[in-house]
Amino acid sequence: MVIVKRKELSLSERLYLPEIFRGMSMTFRAMFKPAVTRQYPEEPLPTDEVTRGQPRLATNDEDGSIRCVSCGLCEAACPAYAITIDGQDTDRNAITIAGDVTEKFIEREPKEFEIDMLRCILCGFCEEACPKDAIFMSDELELADFTRKDLIYGLDKLKRPVSTLRPRIDYIYKVNERWQASSSTR
Amino acid sequence: MDMLITIAVIVVKITCIYGGMIVIAALTTLAERKVSAWIQFRHGPNRVGPWGILQPLADGVKFIFKEELVPDSANKWMFRMAPALSAMPAMMGVAVIPFAAESPLYKDSGPLAIADLDIGVLYVLAFSGLSIYGIILGGWASNSKFSLLGAIRASAQMVSYELAMILSIMAIVVMSGSFNMTEIASLQAGPLWNWNIFSQPVAFMLFLIATFAETNRHPFDFAECEPELVGGFHTEYSSMRFALFFLGEYCAIFVMCCMTVVFFLGGFEVPFWEDAPWFIQVGAMVSKVVAFLFLFIWVRWTIPRFRFDQLMGLGWKVFLPVALVNLLITGGLVSAGIL
Ligand code: SF4
Ligand code: SF4
Repeated sequence: MVIVKRKELSLSERLYLPEIFRGMSMTFRAMFKPAVTRQYPEEPLPTDEVTRGQPRLATNDEDGSIRCVSCGLCEAACPAYAITIDGQDTDRNAITIAGDVTEKFIEREPKEFEIDMLRCILCGFCEEACPKDAIFMSDELELADFTRKDLIYGLDKLKRPVSTLRPRIDYIYKVNERWQASSSTR
Repeated sequence: MDMLITIAVIVVKITCIYGGMIVIAALTTLAERKVSAWIQFRHGPNRVGPWGILQPLADGVKFIFKEELVPDSANKWMFRMAPALSAMPAMMGVAVIPFAAESPLYKDSGPLAIADLDIGVLYVLAFSGLSIYGIILGGWASNSKFSLLGAIRASAQMVSYELAMILSIMAIVVMSGSFNMTEIASLQAGPLWNWNIFSQPVAFMLFLIATFAETNRHPFDFAECEPELVGGFHTEYSSMRFALFFLGEYCAIFVMCCMTVVFFLGGFEVPFWEDAPWFIQVGAMVSKVVAFLFLFIWVRWTIPRFRFDQLMGLGWKVFLPVALVNLLITGGLVSAGIL
């Protein structure tokens, strides 16, 4: 049992009027303080690498080819079933993450890669699942359109040059390192 | 010919004063939102027109285009009539408020008030009392428990506060020896300390607080009381009828502020400057009224709502006795020739 002690009110507090004046002086002073509201469309949200916006597919800077190998791991990881991948065979050259061209062939690439932005919950699981560093959470947050169909993003809307995602990628690596360092299964 | 001129003068006065009141009432809604925003570290409406000044207009257009809903079980006639019954008396009150000692329109046309009644005080009190009928009817006709509760609360509150309010004004009337608003204002001409607020501070406080209760404003807005009663008497109202209730409320606030200024702050009189030109007097009157409108808004966004029994207790157990004693003392002093 908790016994709550009632605070004895002083006479001026019980008279109520002095307290009203105190409150009113407080609200009056508040009137001259700057507003904290952000004027949104003109004053966009500040974003940085921690921002978990909509997922985007990274493309190599050199030739604009997509990094995704259509393995389907992100599709499996997605808790919202937002990702649909249709893969196809390919024999194009792979460009390694480091950027130097190697003569290694990759076998598959997505023919169609769709993320239903209306389903996506921006959880970032796809980013974690991807073995090829091909999908990342961008800092793009705005999502508005006139039809539902237009909000199912295909390859054309998802591709981003990897350099624009660079801060996020570095951040993810940093976080993963920390995670590995503290992991007990290592 | 004289007749025609008189009628023309009255028509011009009505147009100007009512137009001014509606504009001020509309701007008060904007001010309400702006001031509340500032107090809460927000911006307030700032999209419609420069500085959001056209927001009331946008609100009006929005209200017109909203669907008008009449509840199935409502008493249709009363339901439709109530907003008008509430707004009309509130607007009628302004007719006796003097805005300048001399009206500039026509020589010897009396003070700048629509009607310079000898019983102006009674008139304005009567009409402010009448506006409660609209609220009661609206609440009752909606056939909703929230509306009915709000209406009942409003009437109970009105009865208990009107008494204290009238008694506090009576002290002023006893002092000035007149029921005429213009005369009461003119008697406070001259130096600043001639204002009744200095000779009747108790009456001023009582009247001020009673006006808050009378106009259903915070901290006494039990008729609406959103957290308990959804919206109180206007729960079932929508569209222009709802807007009319609000227009009425803001007009009532305007009239009450005018009354406060006339009774206690010298009305249109400018301190230390007797017989100021009419436009100066109108300016003085309007700026004092605007200051009080600001006070109304300021208080609303500062003080939390009372409990209903606290409100009634305050009205009957504190305000009424204090007002009576104040009236008694004033009467004694006046008959002794001191005041
Ligand atoms: S962020 Fe989450 S919900 Fe969105 S696509 Fe990736 S895994 Fe699915
Ligand atoms: S996990 Fe990566 S590589 Fe695999 S399908 Fe998804 S984006 Fe492509």
